[in-house]
Amino acid sequence: MKYLLFLSLTAVLAAGCIGDDVIQDAVDPELRITNPLDSLGLGSSHQFDAQYFNGVGQPEPAVTTWSSSDPAVVSITEEGLATALQEGGVTLTAVAVTPEGSINTALALGVGTTTVAPTSFRTGVIRTTSSYLLEGDFELHDIGGGNLELRIADDYAASTSLPGLYVYLTNNPGISVGALEIGRVTDFSGAHTYTIAGAGLQDYAFVLYYCKPFNVKVGDGEIMD
Amino acid sequence: MVKSWIDAQPKAGWLLVCLFWAPALFAGGPWTQPKGKGYFKLSEYWIVYDEHFTDAGLTDPNVTTGIFNTTLYAEYGIVDRWTATLNFPFLSRNYVNNVVSASTGEVLIPGEALNSIGDTDLGIKYGLNKPGSRTPMALSLVLGLPIGNPSAGTQGNLQTGDGEFNQLLQFDIGRSFNVGKKSSGYAAAFAGFNHRTNGFSEEIRVGVESGVAVLDRDLWFILRLANWESLKNGQTAETITSTSIFANNQEFTSFTVEAAYYIKGGFGVSAAVGGALRAEIVAAAPSFNVGVFYDMNH
Repeated sequence: MKYLLFLSLTAVLAAGCIGDDVIQDAVDPELRITNPLDSLGLGSSHQFDAQYFNGVGQPEPAVTTWSSSDPAVVSITEEGLATALQEGGVTLTAVAVTPEGSINTALALGVGTTTVAPTSFRTGVIRTTSSYLLEGDFELHDIGGGNLELRIADDYAASTSLPGLYVYLTNNPGISVGALEIGRVTDFSGAHTYTIAGAGLQDYAFVLYYCKPFNVKVGDGEIMD
Repeated sequence: MVKSWIDAQPKAGWLLVCLFWAPALFAGGPWTQPKGKGYFKLSEYWIVYDEHFTDAGLTDPNVTTGIFNTTLYAEYGIVDRWTATLNFPFLSRNYVNNVVSASTGEVLIPGEALNSIGDTDLGIKYGLNKPGSRTPMALSLVLGLPIGNPSAGTQGNLQTGDGEFNQLLQFDIGRSFNVGKKSSGYAAAFAGFNHRTNGFSEEIRVGVESGVAVLDRDLWFILRLANWESLKNGQTAETITSTSIFANNQEFTSFTVEAAYYIKGGFGVSAAVGGALRAEIVAAAPSFNVGVFYDMNH
């Protein structure tokens, strides 16, 4: 009997130790143009920038080289400074060399009379990835001055059962670590808005809802162009 | 009198406010202790879970969490028909695992642990009819004292108490019977109302249990079923501004199977396992309890 008690006590104590939960947090690496244009005005120039996001969605420095499919229409330096030389359309390609290899991205760019930037907002749909209620549409607006507004639509609804539900912008929807914390959720239905300082419209790919106290992902929404 | 160790179930206490609560029944039973007699139990309760029942009644994953309570339970007959009860988790441990990246091996969110005393129950039970009655009935008042730690750790998600004051009023009824000359058994039921403070919803608790003794009444097998319903009249994340942990409106239907054996005289050992048949906002894993007890009536 005493051996049984000893074994039981040992098993209980061992089970009471902090262990590891391994989380699958891999995402596809991405090279993202952070200041795209729809068209470039004839005779105008634009410095394109691209950011590399690694296999867990974190930004990493990477040497990026730019090229144009038709330098006679739009010329571009290896560093990304593009100049519109004649009307037409080209594909700009950026290639980044990373520790894991090279990765590229492309942008279709027209040459017109004026420079046209994409719309100043992106959209998406919040969806639950759990069995907690979470749904609704959203728009992410660039309101200038390096600030964004996350506008949640009227069709939004979220469970009120979870304490400490937070909303983030992230490039890895699997984990809140490394994400930009917008704030604690205080609205659980209807339209509302979050203001986000110090972020660009192309800096993040997902809206993430995460219960911070319990490390539970509740849902997400991909930010679409 | 039916053996009083049936009363020594691990009371969930502070776990009631833990999101991933582990169901376990505290079935007081209608049997009171004779004057000067008592029942005492030292037990270890634990649950380790990586899933929980959500508010939709479905199961979702969560970071692995462990809860361990080392508890002293005592019943003592102050006078006939009046029994004092104590459920004191004098060592309560709550931990969460590290969250580790499968891609990099990096610890993304460090695990944490809290060791403290837990919320403690003090109760008084009054036998509504005379001792020895064939169908005893009792009324109990149990006060859940919030002396545990309701919020610790970086995220405030470790706790050994709920920070609220339970006031449980419970009615018990039961009946014992013989099964042949060397065996006996009992059946009991209870219904209670738990008033809670600090914005927690009130609860209605009902349950039934039955036990059978064999081996000259030294070995007992017990089955318990319990159902806790929240009135859902408390606060939710929508109505509070605190960022501290706050899980309310927990409900469940649970079962517990227990075996207890009197080794010598009134000394014995017990082991139990329990789980939820359906639940909301509680742990989705079996809970366990092992203990040693002393029954002055045996």
